Amino acid sequence: MELDAFRTSLDGWLDEHAAALAPGHAGAGTLDDHMAQLAKVKRLAYDAGWMRWGWPERVGGLGGSTLLRAYLAEALTLRDLVDPGLYSMTEVLAPTIIDYAPPGLAAAMVPRLLRGDETWCQGFSEPGTGSNLAALSCRATRTADGWRVSGQKIWTSLAQYAQRCVLLTRTGPTASDHRGITALFVDMASPGITVRPIVAMHGREEFCEVFFDDVAVPLDRTLGEVGQGWSVAMDLLPVERSTALWQRGAFLHRRLEQLLAAAPPGTLAPDEVGEVFGQVYALRARSRATQHRLAAGQRLGPETSVDKILLATAEQAVFDLVAAALGDAILAGDDAGSERWRAEFLYSRAATIYGGSAEVQRNIVARRLLDLGADR
Amino acid sequence: MDREELELFGKGLRHATANHTGEALDAALAELGWRDALAADPRAVVPLLFELQGAANATSSALDDVVLAALDTAPTTAVGVVLPSLGRWDAPGRVEGEELAVSGVGSAGLRRRAAAVVVARTGDGHVAAIVETRRLVLREVGGIDPAFGMVEVAAGRVRRRERAPAPSTAWPDALAAGQLAVGHELLGAARQMLWLACDHARERIQFGRPIASFQAVRHRLADTRVAVDAAEAALAAAWDDGSPLTAALAKALAGRGAGAARRHCQQVLAGIGFTSEHPFHRYVRRTLVLDGLLGDARSLTRRLGDDLLGGRRLPAILPL
Repeated sequence: MELDAFRTSLDGWLDEHAAALAPGHAGAGTLDDHMAQLAKVKRLAYDAGWMRWGWPERVGGLGGSTLLRAYLAEALTLRDLVDPGLYSMTEVLAPTIIDYAPPGLAAAMVPRLLRGDETWCQGFSEPGTGSNLAALSCRATRTADGWRVSGQKIWTSLAQYAQRCVLLTRTGPTASDHRGITALFVDMASPGITVRPIVAMHGREEFCEVFFDDVAVPLDRTLGEVGQGWSVAMDLLPVERSTALWQRGAFLHRRLEQLLAAAPPGTLAPDEVGEVFGQVYALRARSRATQHRLAAGQRLGPETSVDKILLATAEQAVFDLVAAALGDAILAGDDAGSERWRAEFLYSRAATIYGGSAEVQRNIVARRLLDLGADR
Repeated sequence: MDREELELFGKGLRHATANHTGEALDAALAELGWRDALAADPRAVVPLLFELQGAANATSSALDDVVLAALDTAPTTAVGVVLPSLGRWDAPGRVEGEELAVSGVGSAGLRRRAAAVVVARTGDGHVAAIVETRRLVLREVGGIDPAFGMVEVAAGRVRRRERAPAPSTAWPDALAAGQLAVGHELLGAARQMLWLACDHARERIQFGRPIASFQAVRHRLADTRVAVDAAEAALAAAWDDGSPLTAALAKALAGRGAGAARRHCQQVLAGIGFTSEHPFHRYVRRTLVLDGLLGDARSLTRRLGDDLLGGRRLPAILPL
């Protein structure tokens, strides 16, 4: 299906099924509420076919351009039907399984994620490896029939809901850096896994610590080649900065518009509004070009760090403006609307930290795009 | 133009902008068939020429051609165009009875052209008038960038030679076309500043290592790259979109990108970049003037904010 036809028919379907798609919870909603809403929307959209467009047929998709996925994510966000952060896990993890899992496994698993039957998480960061991902130490040891995993992950989004985890493990010598990493696809119900949610600054238990204590993982759950986990991670990170960023840009556009409607007279200065809109627009223009490159089959690489930097800058600019114009709501409001503005304002503080910090992104730009060599 | 033609044309432009400026560049462009190329494929050749011109710190009358083409006036060597004064983007003329009040700027080539098109505001729209150049009072602008060769057009009142009502979209369209061209020139200049600074950072040794290895230096250059890439994306998006709004946004973001390049690259180039023997100062001067031409980033941004606040909503622009 072409994008224009997809856009028109999807918009029609969303209007027609607005009541069925609307959130079941009242007010700001808990994380449980948002997860339930996400699963419901994905199921309805999958069963109607929308959630299958843009994905390969060998994993239950209907084929077509990845632009269709980007538009679906945008349309769901602009109608406030899904939380973009929660939704984005699908866009980040499904491509990894499609590219690196054995074909049978991908065909069996991906539809469950797309349909909202399952939640997956991404076990990358560790207490000792935040920005320095290649130093990870969660150990996987070969056994007769697979792997035994022991170690700890942290900042694992939605692990308490997840049935599966894309896990980076150390399989080479301790100091083998990016050369000795292997990616595994782990069942979260496996004996030996303990999940402990972290209450984050914005009040949600979105991130978790995950402990692995001698967890058995079958050999056919190896993603890519043994010792090649770094390339799995390097392919995943640009994807994390493509479709998901387009959706997040749409979210910022929507919230900025809602701020214009909600801000009391005199609380917004024209030059600030113009400036912030310019930043949101710059992200949109850049991300749009990235979506089209992805759709044309180009391999995304370090240039997506520019997209991430633009997102982090725009997101903080939008919510700085929110905090300035809706100070009463942010500081002292206890109604659902205020709670939502406040949670989003606080969450925006992490935009320069998660998914590769602002500093790491700039190091990538300097080294890979500007050819400035190593930084030591 | 097909790919091969475009490549050949680009090669010619590269050579012309690298070796000529001003009147000589105008002659070289004429020889290359610039005006025909502009008529055939503006989307391909405007970014090409103006980015090269910005990178080479060259000047030409090509902006006149771009604006005239958008006004449906076939560009020739005989006719130039009066542009709004620096920092402004409203039409440079005003109709007062049988006369025309003109106030604006023009490119260096304006005095060599026999006549100039002046778009003028009337009570309820615009007209495009052709004015004999000798009737205009032209002042060569020295200012911060004498090499730019801009002229100030200050004529009290002139009688117009002919005057045709312009369609309601004529000035916004001409402005948008001009803003895109100047935006690409800013982009070319900003990229060149970044290239100069990166080159310097790799070569310059302090404390026993290239200064490119210091994170404080790298991050300045990375921030410049991000601002330049944002401008590039906004310019490309504006060509796709074709509306005055996205052209103004692209011009503003190109101005911002050049501002980031001026600030960060000056610091990285440090002492050598502060000398007149290093080419950097030419780009500082040029981008400051180009930012002002057809609306500076700050004013365009404030106007945008005014419009958004007035409507209390955001335009749904740039669909996937």
